[in-house]
Amino acid sequence: MLKRKMFRDIRKNLSQFITIFLMIMIGVMAFAGIKAYMGGMQKTANKFYSENNLQDLNVIGLLNHDDLELIKKLNNVKDAELKLSITATTDNDKTLLLNAIESNNISEFYVYDGEKFDNKSGVWLDYFYSQENNIKVGDTILVKYESMELHEKVRGLINVPDHLYDVRDESELYPDRKEFGFAYISVNEITEDYIKSLVMKEAGVKDEKVFDMAMPDFNYKEYIPYNSIMVDVDNKDNITNVKETIEDTVENTKAIIKIEDTSSYVAYQGEIDEGKTYVGVFSGIFLFIAMLSVITTMTRVVKNQRVQIGTLKALGFSNNRILFHYIGYGFWISVFASIVGLILGYYLIGNVFISLEMKFFEIPNGVPLMDPSSYFVALIVTLIVGVITYITGRSILKENPAETLRTKIPSIKGNVLNITKKAFFKKLSFSTKWNIRDILRNKMRTFMGLAGVVGCCTLIVCALGMLDSMNFFVKLQFEDLYNFDYKLTLKDNLSDNELKVLHDKYGEYTSESLGIEIKDADGNRESNNILVTDAGNYLRFVDRKNKTIDKPTDDGVFVTYKLAETKGYKKGDKITWHIYGDSKYYTSEIIGFNKDPQNQNVTMTRNYLESLGIEYKPDSLYTNIELSNIKEIKNVETIQDIDNLKDGMSQMLSMMKTMLVMIITIAILLGGIIIYNLGILSYTEKQYQFSTLKVLGFKDKQIENIFIKQNNWVAIISIIFGLPMGFYLTDWLFKTAIEEHYDFGAFITTRTYILSAIGTFIVSLLVSKFLARKIKKIDMVTSLKGNE
Amino acid sequence: MKSFIELKSVKKTYIVGEQRFNALDGIDLSINQGEFVVILGPSGAGKSTLLNLLGGMDKATSGDIYIGENNIAKYNDKELTRYRANDVGFIFQFYNIMPTLTVDENVNLIKDVTNTSKDSKEVLKSVGLIKHVDKFPQELSGGEQQRVSIARAIMKNPKVLLCDEPTGALDSKTGVEVLKLLREQSDNDTTVIIVTHNALIADIADRVIRIKNGKVESNEINKHPKNIDEVKW
Repeated sequence: MLKRKMFRDIRKNLSQFITIFLMIMIGVMAFAGIKAYMGGMQKTANKFYSENNLQDLNVIGLLNHDDLELIKKLNNVKDAELKLSITATTDNDKTLLLNAIESNNISEFYVYDGEKFDNKSGVWLDYFYSQENNIKVGDTILVKYESMELHEKVRGLINVPDHLYDVRDESELYPDRKEFGFAYISVNEITEDYIKSLVMKEAGVKDEKVFDMAMPDFNYKEYIPYNSIMVDVDNKDNITNVKETIEDTVENTKAIIKIEDTSSYVAYQGEIDEGKTYVGVFSGIFLFIAMLSVITTMTRVVKNQRVQIGTLKALGFSNNRILFHYIGYGFWISVFASIVGLILGYYLIGNVFISLEMKFFEIPNGVPLMDPSSYFVALIVTLIVGVITYITGRSILKENPAETLRTKIPSIKGNVLNITKKAFFKKLSFSTKWNIRDILRNKMRTFMGLAGVVGCCTLIVCALGMLDSMNFFVKLQFEDLYNFDYKLTLKDNLSDNELKVLHDKYGEYTSESLGIEIKDADGNRESNNILVTDAGNYLRFVDRKNKTIDKPTDDGVFVTYKLAETKGYKKGDKITWHIYGDSKYYTSEIIGFNKDPQNQNVTMTRNYLESLGIEYKPDSLYTNIELSNIKEIKNVETIQDIDNLKDGMSQMLSMMKTMLVMIITIAILLGGIIIYNLGILSYTEKQYQFSTLKVLGFKDKQIENIFIKQNNWVAIISIIFGLPMGFYLTDWLFKTAIEEHYDFGAFITTRTYILSAIGTFIVSLLVSKFLARKIKKIDMVTSLKGNE
Repeated sequence: MKSFIELKSVKKTYIVGEQRFNALDGIDLSINQGEFVVILGPSGAGKSTLLNLLGGMDKATSGDIYIGENNIAKYNDKELTRYRANDVGFIFQFYNIMPTLTVDENVNLIKDVTNTSKDSKEVLKSVGLIKHVDKFPQELSGGEQQRVSIARAIMKNPKVLLCDEPTGALDSKTGVEVLKLLREQSDNDTTVIIVTHNALIADIADRVIRIKNGKVESNEINKHPKNIDEVKW
């Protein structure tokens, strides 16, 4: 019979129980969903890395088969493969990172369509690139590199574990799959003519006949300039040992990069790390707000059953039986809501986010993963609801049945309200006084309402603020720091003459990026890079406050603020570094700091570099000469238009927008439900007062205004707290969640604050107006009788 | 001469599921202005329903209810709100005063609904609450709370004062004090109608109406109403 009572009570208070259900469901859904998304990202990558045998080390240098054999024979090395990577172009001026390999047992292809790698002719093409450019298996594409032109039939569309994320160069923030992709061919496809021309150029021979006579047994395959060896180590613990052994034994090694330090791996892992912070923050806030509101509601629901508890007690029901009966109210709702939350989290949030990521990263079979902690959270939520119901029920049960049967007048401490008898309070309108005192009497309910709306407002500011901040940094990067229209990436080892031709045509503003290792006082080495600028005003610098500053002088280096903070560098400190491939160490004084949103590195001028005795070999040239119709320039690898770079960023922003829209939707939904829920509580508790006012002759509109006034106050106070909290949350997220090499901070526009404030207020007002409709329907007779 | 309050064939029917229940079953009644009226009857007889119809808190299913010249049975919601605001004062068994307002504020609340209210100081003085103006309801005894309720009701200078078991929650001494206050109102030409189970109150009334099964069983003028102090509780 009690079960029947429970179901009928739930039906009677349906709207309150529906809001409890929704709040638990949304809280658990947000938590489980983001967890499933992050877990899925990690699981998908781990599976891909292990099944397709991602290498552990990339050995960089000018390498050959002797080096390969040497590495293969080292202890703990499971396998190794040579690779030649070059930046080629296609007949329609797209850029392809072309890799020539002999075998494919390391970083094995995942083939979407076509055949496995077999060292025969043909090309295996980046799956995303092929989709963007509508290329199918069986089509033939033309790949050009210097004097070499290869007509290759597409034999497979692939993903490769070390190509999850490829950008043309570091100035691009988002991969442009239409313009840039990767491709693999058999090394046998590299033409003899091309290799011969390379060797002749190197030897300074211009006449082929002379060359043939000098090298009658020339085997071009022995001269293929492989530039990396992928190394698979038997055990993760041995990677450092193997790295050091290769450094010592393979002379041609310029640098050895652990796979964890490669851009593709870092980009993907960074996304997971960012996500982990979001899990903590967003789902934590969602869950916290939801639980606050659920606790308030359950407490009120049980308290409203006071007389019935007394009746049950008077009828002889044991305390435990009554308690279990009431615990059942929250328990079943929580269990049901948690299950629905888990399912929706997995299928809705998990799947949506994973599929968004899978558009960004080239990785097959992305699936969410239900994290065990989600079950744990669901269990905890159910337990909390149960415990709260238990505690509330027990406090009522402690009273004797006769007491319980009497309606309890809310306890009130006179002195709390006494302040409202004083001075200017007396001059306030009835509705203002009434509301102030109602808030003072129901502090917990008001606090919960405030917490809910503050949370809602904070999340809206944060979501919109993230977009603002990203837009701000796009502007900073592409308008303030980059002051050029085109960036030309130059080919390696250009002669002075070749450079002069380019300078004459496109200007002399250049830069060079050098891979370095910085050694600290304890001898620990860490990879970084130096930007050597000879770009005049084309590359600008800003300080912490985004104000333009002069480039470094010719007697030291700038380091970026974030790098300085991480390493504890101060002005006047010295850093010791060497260039990859050259063991000589240099010591430079830090003469200033600059802010760089994308890279945390060291900057120096060309003059300073040369004063250290290092030759300046520019790899980039900056120009404002109109190049929109130029597809190819001799000795230039890529031509990048600043607008295209910006477009790439906009694509990243549009992906971010989808996620933020989801966060805002959940925030508004949750905020709306909380306001509705607390509004219902507040309305129910005031219903008899409202009916008394109605009896006294108050118009419905007057009573509605009294009711809405309090909710509006709560909304306004919440907005006052929510706006700055939104800023701090955004700032914190950008500073902690984002990858190490970024230096972002919150930059939120006034428009965002205004929109968030208006948005929050409108949600609150709409819900209040919706609830206020109930006032019209108050049946004075019934509600006054109910109160008796 | 036409009576101040006249009910003609008033019916109030409640429909619960498929059941129809006549709470008032064709009532005819006349009450003169300034009379002190007591309505008696067992539980479920229809006393409170009658009071609710007179107070404009509920609408009759059929029939006419004249208060002065106006047939409030024909009023729409807006007219009923205006009627409640200007013409009727209510006194409830459980006071129904606002717990978050002080005594003074509870009484002055009336100023928000009518322009014809009395001076609150005078009213509070008349009910003996002038010393408690700044107290909250929970700081007062039951009798004092009922006085607040009376003060609030008479503040608007009502034509009719409707009281639903006004002494039901009070001890006898306090009950007598409350009844004295109500009697004073009728002496000042306000029509006072009290609904009660307590037959003893009938002795002090000018008119006693007995209701049973939704019908008027009797409607008698008490030619010699007793002084309140003479009533034995």
